[in-house]
Amino acid sequence: MRNNRLAKWLISGPPLLYLLLFFAIPSAIMAFAAFRFPGDYGGLLPLMDVNPDTGKTELLINAANFREFLTLENFARFFQEPVFFELFIKSFWYAGLTTVICLVLAYPLAWLIARSPKKHRDLLVLLVILPFWSNFLIRVYSWMIILGPQGYFARSINAVLGVIGVGPVQLLFSHFAVILVLVYVHLPFMVLPLYANLEKHDMNLLDAAQDLGANAWQRFWRITWPLSLPGVWAGAALVFIPALGMFAVPDLVGGTDGIMIGNLIKQQFLDSRDWPFGSVLSIMLTLAVLMLAGLATLIGRGGKRNAL
Amino acid sequence: MHLFNWNNAVSSDTIKRFEAECKCKVQETYYGSMEEALAKLTAGAKGFDVIGPSNYGIPPLAKLGLLQPLDKAKLPNIRNLNPAFANTPLDPNNQYSAPYDFTVTLVGYNADKLKSLGIDPTSWAVVFDPKLLAKLKGKVTVLDDPREVIAAALRYNGFSANSQKPEELKKAVATIKAAKPYWAAFNSQSYIKELTLGNIWVALGYSNDLFQARQDAIKAKRAFRIDYTLQKEGNGMTADSFVIHKNAPRPDLAHQFINFMLDGKNAAGITNNVGAGNPNAAAKPFIDKALLAVPAINPDAEQVKQLEQLTDLNAATRRAWNRAWTDIKVGG
Repeated sequence: MRNNRLAKWLISGPPLLYLLLFFAIPSAIMAFAAFRFPGDYGGLLPLMDVNPDTGKTELLINAANFREFLTLENFARFFQEPVFFELFIKSFWYAGLTTVICLVLAYPLAWLIARSPKKHRDLLVLLVILPFWSNFLIRVYSWMIILGPQGYFARSINAVLGVIGVGPVQLLFSHFAVILVLVYVHLPFMVLPLYANLEKHDMNLLDAAQDLGANAWQRFWRITWPLSLPGVWAGAALVFIPALGMFAVPDLVGGTDGIMIGNLIKQQFLDSRDWPFGSVLSIMLTLAVLMLAGLATLIGRGGKRNAL
Repeated sequence: MHLFNWNNAVSSDTIKRFEAECKCKVQETYYGSMEEALAKLTAGAKGFDVIGPSNYGIPPLAKLGLLQPLDKAKLPNIRNLNPAFANTPLDPNNQYSAPYDFTVTLVGYNADKLKSLGIDPTSWAVVFDPKLLAKLKGKVTVLDDPREVIAAALRYNGFSANSQKPEELKKAVATIKAAKPYWAAFNSQSYIKELTLGNIWVALGYSNDLFQARQDAIKAKRAFRIDYTLQKEGNGMTADSFVIHKNAPRPDLAHQFINFMLDGKNAAGITNNVGAGNPNAAAKPFIDKALLAVPAINPDAEQVKQLEQLTDLNAATRRAWNRAWTDIKVGG
């Protein structure tokens, strides 16, 4: 019994420690930073300083003057100006759209790989992850060349549009470019969990359904799809969450109004010397994602209850 | 020796010659904007010997105690500096810094396109006037840098690029908001490439980058010419200097490097290779004659008057600028 408990701790200890060190503590620091003032040259307004007379480090903050060091203003700013809320909505919309497009594209592909002869499957999976062998930024830059007005892709599209009398469209530096590249970058993250799930399905179930008179659509909708839901959820989480925080893609291929919440957070830390407001935005983003995950769990539970 | 510097500032050629002289290895790390560099240094980035900040970045670095004073005895070449660039208010008596180049923020353009459209690039109107921009929609990029873009909008409105007045900032922001729908992107990274490919026609950018865009277009034998010009309303100008990090692992090599770069011939390499202006008087004889004819590199007395060195803004103004920039970026 005791050995068992020790083993549990040994196994779960390192990941717990990792989460504590690199997630819980930094999150707590960030939460505290959200209530402080920015320093004049970046960072935060210091709470302690070296006293030039004594040479000792002294705490500057005390019960009387804490209002000069701690503030709710950063949160007030977030809630008072609707632009920030709008940017959240827009980022969720971008990430959601990316997830749905990835799902629609990845599902048939994962299904085909899972149903192909066993000896080919490993090769096909390898082909799906092949793009990861080149650097992420290089792949985004390649899209910039493809989508640029002087690129063959954009010129072909505009030539076709010209025939039907629609003026040339701008592909690079647009919403379209941001969604397209987000989908491209995240697609393998949707294919892999779906494939892992679909591969394990018992084909006898489909045969049985067919024997009982179910047509192709019924077999998919009543057997394959419900069984694949864990893969769908895993893929959706793997796509939605990174897409939501993405800043490099909108930076490179987005236009002047293409930014997402990640860009704004990065701007607060790297350009605006406003760490506290950047912390507020990060906390709000984390809370929003947690709420969404909680909601998804609730819906998932409800679904199970109905099934029973 | 670890160098933390602007991308596209010192040529690899020059670095190789220094490596031969000091018998050491130069490790370069780059940044794309002064704020990015400041953010990394204030966050505690370590191990750098020499940093090459814009001059307006020197006061914050000095006040944060991140710099060590230069040992002038180890820098005999510092006398080569053009007096106009030595001993500036941003670093009195060059206590911490030795300037190595200056860049002007100006308009680079596709000369053939603008000519066919009949648009004159010698006014900031080409970037800010919605009437002109209607013909350039989706073909203009500006730097992704609040300091530079707001400074240009201030000059366009007839104010100082270092204005600390809220009402002047307000006007500049209104100018930027009116122009933004016509711009393709805020871009500090790839505008050189986009210009030389013909994807964009006008870029608010740095003189050294636009020099490179012009050379690249010539090398690639494009059917059009890329050129750049000063604006009649005046331009922001930034000198860049070398400073030594307080905790430099190798201050000896750092001094050796700075002295090396202050040598006339080596200093001239910065202009010849990167197209930046040169604050080094001894460099002039070694600079290509053709480059000395370019106003953004070698401005005459009249043009110098229209160049305004960007200063470090006071905290309240900077906060107002940064908030304005956030509004600009987020607003539709």
